[in-house]
Amino acid sequence: MTNFTPDDIYAALDQFRSKVNENQRLRQMNRDWNRDIAVVAKDLPDVQAWIRMRAGEMDWERQHCADPHIVLTAPAEVLIGIFQGQRTPTEPYLDGSLTLRGSQEDVLRLDFVSLMIWGE
Amino acid sequence: MKHVLGVSLGSSQRDHTVQVSMLGEEIELSRRGTDGDLNRAEQLIREHDGQVDAIGLGGIDVYFFARGERYVVRDGLRLMEAARVTPAVDGSGIKDTLERDAVQYLLHKTELLKPTTRVLMVSAVDRFGMAEAIVEIGCPIVFGDLIFSAGMPYPITTLDELADIARRILPEMAKMPFTMLYPTGKEQEKGGASERFHEYYDAADVIAGDWHFIRKYLPPRIDGKWILTNTTTAKDIAELRERGATHVVTTTPEMAGRSFGTNVIEAMIVALAGKRPEELGHAGYAEWLRRLHLEPRIENLQGGSAS
Repeated sequence: MTNFTPDDIYAALDQFRSKVNENQRLRQMNRDWNRDIAVVAKDLPDVQAWIRMRAGEMDWERQHCADPHIVLTAPAEVLIGIFQGQRTPTEPYLDGSLTLRGSQEDVLRLDFVSLMIWGE
Repeated sequence: MKHVLGVSLGSSQRDHTVQVSMLGEEIELSRRGTDGDLNRAEQLIREHDGQVDAIGLGGIDVYFFARGERYVVRDGLRLMEAARVTPAVDGSGIKDTLERDAVQYLLHKTELLKPTTRVLMVSAVDRFGMAEAIVEIGCPIVFGDLIFSAGMPYPITTLDELADIARRILPEMAKMPFTMLYPTGKEQEKGGASERFHEYYDAADVIAGDWHFIRKYLPPRIDGKWILTNTTTAKDIAELRERGATHVVTTTPEMAGRSFGTNVIEAMIVALAGKRPEELGHAGYAEWLRRLHLEPRIENLQGGSAS
């Protein structure tokens, strides 16, 4: 059971989108990275979130992503923590609570995006 | 005879053993690749711990550096700690001195490096001393750390920005499996087949840094350019000649047809000195480098003069 709701994840995604899009350097770094990313909350099956990276800009929709390049799966708490910058993806990735399905380069790139926004 | 074992995450196809004579001492240098298998590398180290005089860790870094900050690579540290009796080193004890000296040598004793030489340094956090030395000369430089490790088309052009990005990402990235950050095992054999990022090679006069990163996106033609690296084999040199490179400079000397990594050279010094790395320290390593009189090896690939 989780105390979080789908709306908590959607609010965190809004925050993540703002951070990605206001970071000019990050947009430049990702200008060639056009990817569809499906977000799956293990403990909130109603969540449907489709992140779209296009020419360095991020957008997302409350929609099922049928053919994603990357599938990001974790408990709601982990997803919210990552999107809000309260935790890095590294530790949950290494302890298995976060799984990333996709090419190794895409997985690495997603990690970079998160660290470039929040890392210090 | 002293025995030095180099354990590498790299391809086993690059394995070799040579015997060299250094300052009157016979040394056997043996390199064993584990094809990217970290567990096998750890096992190999445990098997030889206490049986050889020093162990070099290749195909992996234990530390990254940027502007005075040191970042510990989790997988590298795991390998280093697998050796409990025999000293294990990754080359970082000598890399800074050796590679700064190599840049100075090229500047003052050859016509290859000038303040106007355009440099593509494929990664700098594993060779920060070389990066700083080249910047100090005034060369226009592109650091390809994001390009070559993460496939991001973002050239870094200043040490300040490199240090800023390193501060943001390296504390976490250094915890990731090293195989995600660097080509190991069979990945090393795939280099040079991609058409990505050729523009960064085209815009440079010299391509510097880790050989496997250099090779990762190496264009079919690099006419007129030269390479500053190490750990090249005779096959690598032939490939560079075919692609039109004019010279290959390695910061470590040639031994039996190839240049060894700095990890093997550092391990060799530890074996010769009969001391642990912490006993040698920076001054001790500098003294041994001076005694060994290691100079860069410059190979002219096209038969002209070194200019």
